[in-house]
Amino acid sequence: MTETIDQHQEGKRDVTFRVFRFNPQVDSKPYFDDYTISAERGITVLRSLNYIKEHVDATLSFRAFCQAGICGSCSMRVNGISKLACTSQVWEELDKCREPGIIKVEPLRSMPMIKDLIVDMDPLVDKMKRYANWIESTMPLDEMGKKEFLVSEEEFHRYDKATDCILCASCVSECSILRANKEYVSPAVLLKSYRMNVDSRDSIHDIRLAELVKDHGVWDCTHCYRCQESCVKSIPIMEAIHAIREDALECRGPKDTSGAKHAEAFMEDIEKKGKLVEATLPIRTNGMIWTLRNLLPMAMKMIVKRRTPPPPPLVKSAKGIKIFRAMFREMTEHVKQDHQKSHKK
Amino acid sequence: MKPFDIVIVGGGGAGLYAAMEAMKTNPALNIAVLSKVYPNRSHTSAAQGGANAALGNKAKDDTIEMHIFDTIKGSDYLADQDAVEVLCSEAPKIIRELENIGTPWSRMEDNTIAQRPFGGAGRPRCCYCADKTGHTILQTLYEQCLRKGVLFFNEYFALNLSVNGSRSRGLIAMNMKTGKVEAFPAKTVIFATGGYAKMYWNRSSNAAGNTGDGQAIAYRAGIPMKDMEFVQFHPTGLRKSGLLVTEGARGEGGYLINKDGERFMVRYAKEKMELGPRDLVSRSIETEILEGRGFDSPAGKYIHLDLRHLGADLIKSRLPQIREMSLNFEGVDPIEEPIPVRPTAHYSMGGIDTDNFGRTIMDGVYAAGECACVSVHGANRLGGNSLLDILVFGRIVGHTAAEEAGKFAPATISELELKESVDELRNRMQPSGHYERYGALREELGQTLALNVGIFRESSLLHKGIQDISGLKERFKKVRVFDSSDVFNTNLMQVLELKNMLDLAETVAVGALAREESRGSHTRIDFPVRDDEKWHKHTLATLVDGKVLPGEKPVTMGRYELQERTY
Repeated sequence: MTETIDQHQEGKRDVTFRVFRFNPQVDSKPYFDDYTISAERGITVLRSLNYIKEHVDATLSFRAFCQAGICGSCSMRVNGISKLACTSQVWEELDKCREPGIIKVEPLRSMPMIKDLIVDMDPLVDKMKRYANWIESTMPLDEMGKKEFLVSEEEFHRYDKATDCILCASCVSECSILRANKEYVSPAVLLKSYRMNVDSRDSIHDIRLAELVKDHGVWDCTHCYRCQESCVKSIPIMEAIHAIREDALECRGPKDTSGAKHAEAFMEDIEKKGKLVEATLPIRTNGMIWTLRNLLPMAMKMIVKRRTPPPPPLVKSAKGIKIFRAMFREMTEHVKQDHQKSHKK
Repeated sequence: MKPFDIVIVGGGGAGLYAAMEAMKTNPALNIAVLSKVYPNRSHTSAAQGGANAALGNKAKDDTIEMHIFDTIKGSDYLADQDAVEVLCSEAPKIIRELENIGTPWSRMEDNTIAQRPFGGAGRPRCCYCADKTGHTILQTLYEQCLRKGVLFFNEYFALNLSVNGSRSRGLIAMNMKTGKVEAFPAKTVIFATGGYAKMYWNRSSNAAGNTGDGQAIAYRAGIPMKDMEFVQFHPTGLRKSGLLVTEGARGEGGYLINKDGERFMVRYAKEKMELGPRDLVSRSIETEILEGRGFDSPAGKYIHLDLRHLGADLIKSRLPQIREMSLNFEGVDPIEEPIPVRPTAHYSMGGIDTDNFGRTIMDGVYAAGECACVSVHGANRLGGNSLLDILVFGRIVGHTAAEEAGKFAPATISELELKESVDELRNRMQPSGHYERYGALREELGQTLALNVGIFRESSLLHKGIQDISGLKERFKKVRVFDSSDVFNTNLMQVLELKNMLDLAETVAVGALAREESRGSHTRIDFPVRDDEKWHKHTLATLVDGKVLPGEKPVTMGRYELQERTY
């Protein structure tokens, strides 16, 4: 069933869209349908899907609205990567196919399936609510609309990039933690939380932060950077996550949560030895009782398999530790100064 | 379902502001917002430029008075002057309120909200957040609605009003996730569903869903539409998709070139050249094409927007978005090739006829935003006034409905009525012998509108347009829905959207034929001048016995006398 889009230009390429299909009313499990069309340069994945829906298979279901990359409706996985269909070029995708000539199209991951390429966005909205992703204004109600807050261009730039987020949920789909733990806050909600927390007009920074450091919160991120790599608006999401952590350590101290303690223990080891003392890391992060209760069976298995990390006295300092410590001290000093500077501003 | 006090249809800027304001006015009310998309997807997000308000941050001598005059003049004196006064006087307050609840704004050196010049404005009064103003406003409103616990029914497609005589009993809508048709009995219904310019289909810059659903539902319920013939065209839309290439491209020095390699604007605006006002540049491009100096392709005729002489560096640093769009949607790199463009339908000035409080002639039915026609834009909207319109009148309509909901007795919608709506949908899904493809009809509608009810209008063309539309309406009866699934049936939704566009298209064409003059966005070749004596009035279109019944309404005047509109 070869069909053509716009036959007026020379140079067309045949392309097969292998599309994920699932209709919960009739299908017991998902499957793939192949649609082969001929596409010229400049045709987007969304235009192709629209074409298929209009001319080949009207039952193919996906969301699309603005078609210009600003509404975030048509996020889906194209050749395995979460992105917007409306800004993805068919010809470019053809060069990235695992199987030549076949572009794979699938729904976002880590979100409940509804039908074909449509997933449920409600869990994300629920998380936005849980983490108070809004400004609770410091302006008294009866003063609203009467005067402006004075906000420096510098402060605006602190959240300018973060407010580019269109909630397309590509980062949610790519996040490696969410695939293991659906309750995890998610990169998009961390980004939004950061944006609210650095806004001087907001009054609930501390409450939001207290929620963020709880279980499934900001400390669960493993720095895989997948969110940032897949962001359709090129927002440095990881910088926002790091900023929330630094803020948490500063405002709530290093002994606040296991996440903070874990970060602190890391720092301590790196400064002392230039490498990790893994054997005691769980104890310093979560305490002795928790470790015995939760990690003892695993520790036994490790002993049997001879995979136990060396006990602390046997962990020798890394080579060139003295030079490293000097560098480390200098670095921490710089970080401290930067912090003071940004606070003064 | 429990009866509602207020049901708001549409979750863009107007709908969300209405919800917030209604909750503030009376927290005890039971309010729901229905939207066919998640509210943060609404087309408000596409507005880049900004919102006008005489804050005086940039130009200290700016006044609300000047804003009022600019808006009335821009409207070609068709706007109601009392409504414009409301719009402009509320502007500073509403922009500050948005600022107070968290909208990020670009800032001036003295840390106040930044303002920039915009077309048709005597002072730089357009408040902006980089090139994402609509997006950030929509985000802020959505965040605040989540904060206040507004009850959302996301991905519900509105079907029709339940009407009892001159009074609405609420709304019937389809839950997209389940396919179930549900009743929303309500004392008041507010339509805030956006514009109808998508009826020009791929000759429109609008989102796929800007199909005038609210207007069509109100129209079918007997509520008049006002000034439907006024549709604003933007000069430079991409050839294939109609998507917008912003004015920045010409602002930076881009040329408009015809088939003969000529910078044709020299014939139309010798001094301003490519930077003439929107309607003038649109008409010039269209003239070139009509007189055979455009390029030809199966995707339509077009002319070139040439940026090559600006050089790769400038294009990359100052016009990155335009380059990205050309690459994404035309496969053309403006550094190496000119961009194929032609005028694109951009904004609908007409809509549901309302008073200054958003009330329609039907008790309990209100409207605001691009979906309504108050009218503050008259025959031509100024840049920066559309965001302002949805905010100001969104808030007013929310307040009004909250105050007036108490007047009405609780409403109920009968099972029988609900069943009728379901049956209507089911019939559409029955297979029949010969059928029509909705996609083809949609494209043909766009083509005939662009050709016959487009930038240049003329009696015989408009008759042709009306004839085409009624032909399409006839063929629509044979359109079949192939997807029989209850779950997220986008096939069914698109067919219903087409129905809405067809109904409204007729009112646009009939209004355009009736108005025998040229005013603002409405240009009649056969009546090239503004005729205040005969046509300084609004046109109305009401559905009576399946036909458009034309009507009229006087323009509310005020301080400003009629003048010639020159820039």
